[in-house]
Amino acid sequence: MATAVNFKTEESKAELIQLVSFNLEQEEYGVYVLKVREIIRMPNVTRVPNTPYYVEGVINLRGKVIPIISLRKKLSLPDAENDKHTRIIVMDVDGELMGFIVDSVSEVIRISSSEIQPPPAVVNGGIEQEYLSGVINRADRLLVLLDLERVFSGAERGSLVGASL
Amino acid sequence: MELLCEDQELLEGFLAETTELLEKMDDDLVALEKAPDDMELLNGIFRSIHTVKGASSFLGFELLVQITHKTEDVLNRLRKDELKVTPEIMDVILEACDTVKLLVNDIRNGEIVERELDWIIDKLLPYISGTAQEAPVLAAPPAEPPPPPVDGSGDAAPSTSPDADPPMLIDEKPAAPGKAAPSASAAAAPKGAAGRGEDISDNTTVRIDVKRLDDLMNQVGEMVLERNRILQMNIDYQSRENMTSFGEEFGKLAKRIDFVTSELQMQVLKIRMIPVEKVFKKFPRIVRNLSRDLGKEVELEIIGEETELDRSVVDEIGDPLIHLIRNALDHGLELPEDRVAAGKPRTGKVVLSATHEGNQIIISIRDDGRGIDPDKLARKAIEKGLVSEEQVAAMSHKEILDLIFLPGFSTKEKATDLSGRGVGMDVVRTNIRKLNGIIEIRSEAGSGSEFTLKLPLTLAIIQSLLVEVESEVYSVPLAAVLETIKVENSTFHQIAGQEVLKLRETVLPLLRLQRIFGVGGNGEESGHSYIVVIGVAEKRMGLVVTRLLGQQEVAIKSLGKYLAKAPGIAGSTILGDGRVALIVDPAGLMEMDASGTPGSWAA
Repeated sequence: MATAVNFKTEESKAELIQLVSFNLEQEEYGVYVLKVREIIRMPNVTRVPNTPYYVEGVINLRGKVIPIISLRKKLSLPDAENDKHTRIIVMDVDGELMGFIVDSVSEVIRISSSEIQPPPAVVNGGIEQEYLSGVINRADRLLVLLDLERVFSGAERGSLVGASL
Repeated sequence: MELLCEDQELLEGFLAETTELLEKMDDDLVALEKAPDDMELLNGIFRSIHTVKGASSFLGFELLVQITHKTEDVLNRLRKDELKVTPEIMDVILEACDTVKLLVNDIRNGEIVERELDWIIDKLLPYISGTAQEAPVLAAPPAEPPPPPVDGSGDAAPSTSPDADPPMLIDEKPAAPGKAAPSASAAAAPKGAAGRGEDISDNTTVRIDVKRLDDLMNQVGEMVLERNRILQMNIDYQSRENMTSFGEEFGKLAKRIDFVTSELQMQVLKIRMIPVEKVFKKFPRIVRNLSRDLGKEVELEIIGEETELDRSVVDEIGDPLIHLIRNALDHGLELPEDRVAAGKPRTGKVVLSATHEGNQIIISIRDDGRGIDPDKLARKAIEKGLVSEEQVAAMSHKEILDLIFLPGFSTKEKATDLSGRGVGMDVVRTNIRKLNGIIEIRSEAGSGSEFTLKLPLTLAIIQSLLVEVESEVYSVPLAAVLETIKVENSTFHQIAGQEVLKLRETVLPLLRLQRIFGVGGNGEESGHSYIVVIGVAEKRMGLVVTRLLGQQEVAIKSLGKYLAKAPGIAGSTILGDGRVALIVDPAGLMEMDASGTPGSWAA
């Protein structure tokens, strides 16, 4: 992710970056492709008691138990029913696998790092500024680049449990 | 300095062998001190150090050669009867051993640190040249041991001159390893004496009995046969052949696979088992050093060191046990004079034992010291504001003893370097709990205390009771389950807001899993519930669940570091249908309940 955060101003030094783009509440977001392990459909989720509201529970990913986070809840977006487009993006967050529920996954896009603009000073939609590593503004689309490792910053990870007790 | 060893395999062999020799040597040295005339033992030690020296020189580890060479010289003089075995010589030799371990560890970590060795060699030299001979002869009786040379090296610069003078009765306290001089080697050596366990033990390789490996291979062979059978049945099924007997055949196959996998599981479990001796064998040395530092006479008896348990457990119990042994020596046993005054033998006794009991291993540490004074303990707890006087008044003897496990507790007036360094009994209990184990205390004022640890044989697979709470499935470790009962809801009682159930002679506090886990109910009251009675140590509690699903052996899966601390949850497992079920943590539930509803304290 770190390379994606570098806002290179010189066109010549721009490198190609691949992003997985997904949708949440009609907005398009992107995450760095190398952090994504796989994308799966919604399986049976087992609730874990006494965890924060955005922890949906845990799932069995081929014999490994991994936590599932609702990105909608985490980013303070309104709740929605899961449908046939709902996916879980399994990502490597600080060496551990974590799944993030998104409305749908669209594609892998290539962008040049020079296309990434710093996030606007005032962010709409309740996403806290720190999770945003940039915005990509193309002719027909606006894509928000999320840094999910920062969504679960060190302090937050420690408190992932017991907050709602 | 970079490690210039091209043959990695050779190096690994060297490390494995040396580690083993050194660990055994420790034990032998302590034994030698008790039986100085045992030539066979002495020869064994001599051979060990000789082997280490040979191997080190072959691989070009100069520092190791230097020190082992000098140690060997001293041992050789002992062997030829030119020197007598005395605590002072043993101190130096043990220190030398520690230094060797330190060096070996450096090698294991892949980089050789240029360590200053003169200080230890200076200490060995007098014994080689013979100038120090007089000192040991004049050695004071063990009751007032001269300051072990460890002290000198720990506090002073490495250049301390040989400790050849007959020792004066100096205050022994400078033994504090923590205050050692900044010199790395000098500081590390005394520390090694106590905390060495984690440094030296090599857990990356396993030695397995060939027989066990063969058994395993046989099981795998059978497994392959069953797999082929499944594949064949699938083909038949797809082509709709032999459909008449399919159901029956499939049933048989399921049974055979069940059998083969359980066998396989047993075999693998056995391979992972190692004798608890691996942990126990460092205790004679620790007890020896401690008893000298404390000026106490201690006899350590070890029973059942051949008892086997899972590697993962063995790796984890070392520290709690060291702590308990330190406590027994420091707080439990009295000084020799006090013992005599109390009409006990001068020498205190500490018994460390391990036995199997069903699916558990029981490790106990028993001392015949002064025991724990419950009144003093209770006063202390009140003073520290850990409990109130009313609470204490309502407590049983046992519960008062359990106060020792509260965080921030230490009864000894003056904390010594050995115990009372802030890692109290609560840490011990936490560590034991992490292993799904429990710790119990029995103590009688005047005649000693006993700490009993009950640990599961393995951490990977447990027997569990699957229960349903509304529509969610939870797994309760069977080790904690005492019984299950079906009751009418009308038989529940309320005492001060706490739901209880009259169970035969006792009153059982109840905990609704549905409430504590926040499971949404469908509002349907069936009129009766199932109670799973769980017990941790002496405490009992009833978990109210909707349905009992049955007993199953489950493999424990961690919840990962983000969710690992979920209260009341010990982990998770995967059920036959692929769903994840959470494993409840009985000890954790008891605690949650105790903190949430004070009314259950006395229950």
